[in-house]
Amino acid sequence: MRKKALFIDPGRCIGCQACVAACRECDSHKGRSMIHLDYVDPGNSAAAMPTVCMHCSDPVAPCAQVCPVDAIPVGNDGVVGTASPELCIGCGNCVHACPFGVPKLDVPEMLQYKCDLCYDRSSQGLLPMCASVCPTDALFYGTFDELQAKRPSAKAVDVFDFGNQSVVTGNALVAPAGAEDVIPGGYSVWNEFLETPA
Amino acid sequence: MSRWDADPVSDHPINRPAPPPGTALLSGNRGALAGGVASALALTVAILLGSRNLDNFDVALLGYALGTIFLGFGIAYRSVLWVQSPAARRYLIRGWRALLRPGPNLPKSEIPRTVFSVLLLQRFIAERSKPRWLAHQGLFWGVISATLITFPLTFGFIHFRAVAGTESLYWIYVNGIRTVKIDALGIVGWLMFHGLNFSAVLVIAGAAWFLHRRWSERGNNLTQFGRDLMPLIALVAISVTGLALTVSSALMGGFGYQPLAFVHMCTVVLTLVWIPFGKFFHTVQRPAMIGVHLHKQATLASEGAINCRSCGAEMEGAVFVGDLQKTMSELGLDYSGWIETCPACKRIARGARYRDQVKAGF
Repeated sequence: MRKKALFIDPGRCIGCQACVAACRECDSHKGRSMIHLDYVDPGNSAAAMPTVCMHCSDPVAPCAQVCPVDAIPVGNDGVVGTASPELCIGCGNCVHACPFGVPKLDVPEMLQYKCDLCYDRSSQGLLPMCASVCPTDALFYGTFDELQAKRPSAKAVDVFDFGNQSVVTGNALVAPAGAEDVIPGGYSVWNEFLETPA
Repeated sequence: MSRWDADPVSDHPINRPAPPPGTALLSGNRGALAGGVASALALTVAILLGSRNLDNFDVALLGYALGTIFLGFGIAYRSVLWVQSPAARRYLIRGWRALLRPGPNLPKSEIPRTVFSVLLLQRFIAERSKPRWLAHQGLFWGVISATLITFPLTFGFIHFRAVAGTESLYWIYVNGIRTVKIDALGIVGWLMFHGLNFSAVLVIAGAAWFLHRRWSERGNNLTQFGRDLMPLIALVAISVTGLALTVSSALMGGFGYQPLAFVHMCTVVLTLVWIPFGKFFHTVQRPAMIGVHLHKQATLASEGAINCRSCGAEMEGAVFVGDLQKTMSELGLDYSGWIETCPACKRIARGARYRDQVKAGF
């Protein structure tokens, strides 16, 4: 049973990239950073969006389901691992099937790699590297009770809307108390774009 | 108790749901069982034919032969289960079609180049790390050479007969047909009869490097004994006991040879039985998927790539994306249109939605 999770609050993210650098330093990441930090509207806004693996629980790990060689392990605690190096053939299925845009692909190495919640650390009770260095707690790792003790009005949302498909995740986004129970996954953005008359 | 006290993924049994009705090649484990039995029977018949109704079969190798027949069963059993996954099935068909019927968009040299580069030279491992590549090459060629030497001997496909009136000359018989004569004390004979020793040295060197890494590298608390260490230990056990047989016969006058031979056979047979169900199964999966990259290359050339629906950047080939969408539909993942957006745009779109609709103006 995994009671702890990463609670991500993009509203707190200052885009400092400390998480990106720290991720690289995780013992099991071998110098690769697995977190993404995207700027939502560069030039006009400082808003930044940190993206780690959300460890999808329903449907369980779409990345693992579309893998043709069973390279992506899913633990009984719900943690979706990075691809197994001896199995991964670098086809890229997982990269594109992930609704959150998480997995990365090294084409020459024929190897996918993605956030594994710093499993060598988190399985031992330590913080994932990103959460250990985040100066604003935009990436908070702990139980929901621990989060609420710090932010009484915070709400954690772990259901994302992707059109006809909702995805329930192991990690969650932090939202204001009055927010909906389902967070938009972004899917409708280009749908609306397509529907907009030229 | 809040929702966060509950296990988010209570006990999902495996990371892959059952394929929808009508999509499996064979239904459930019964198909896998049938495939396994058929494979074991085919191997048994091959042994009977190859050894001329067991005339040339070496009874001392019976344990190895039985282990290999079970290996045939296990690999077929696991393979049938494996190809029930929509992604595996689709890629296997696509990949082998590209290999067998490359079409005009794939240069003829590309197939041997890919086989050589990916399967034999394994350049992708060199990209990960040069020492890892070297160690893996040791393991790979050690195991391949040992397999090529032992399997034909075990099955009785190859056997030796002394040339009458000589002390060290032997005829080599292949499928009961006399071929060439070799001198066991000559260079060729010596190399041939010590082939397995060379294999053992290669395997021990490779496995030792991997074991050293498993013990010494940072983050090794994720190492699992059964999954990661046992395969290496098994390979070392086979190689060391095999070398010990040579030491016993060549340097110790055959001291302890029989018990050693029994221990060696046990290590080999247990490993053979285990191959289909552990890490070693990648030796089946990776060659089986060799055509995938050729398929992607050929279809990208013929059908072109699609562009991200948001930023317009070139993404994957249209055929690849279409295949993935079909796979996702079969798996019940109902957002396959989303994969026409590149990963970066997916993340930015979600961030924009969060900023606009969840926490306005962050």
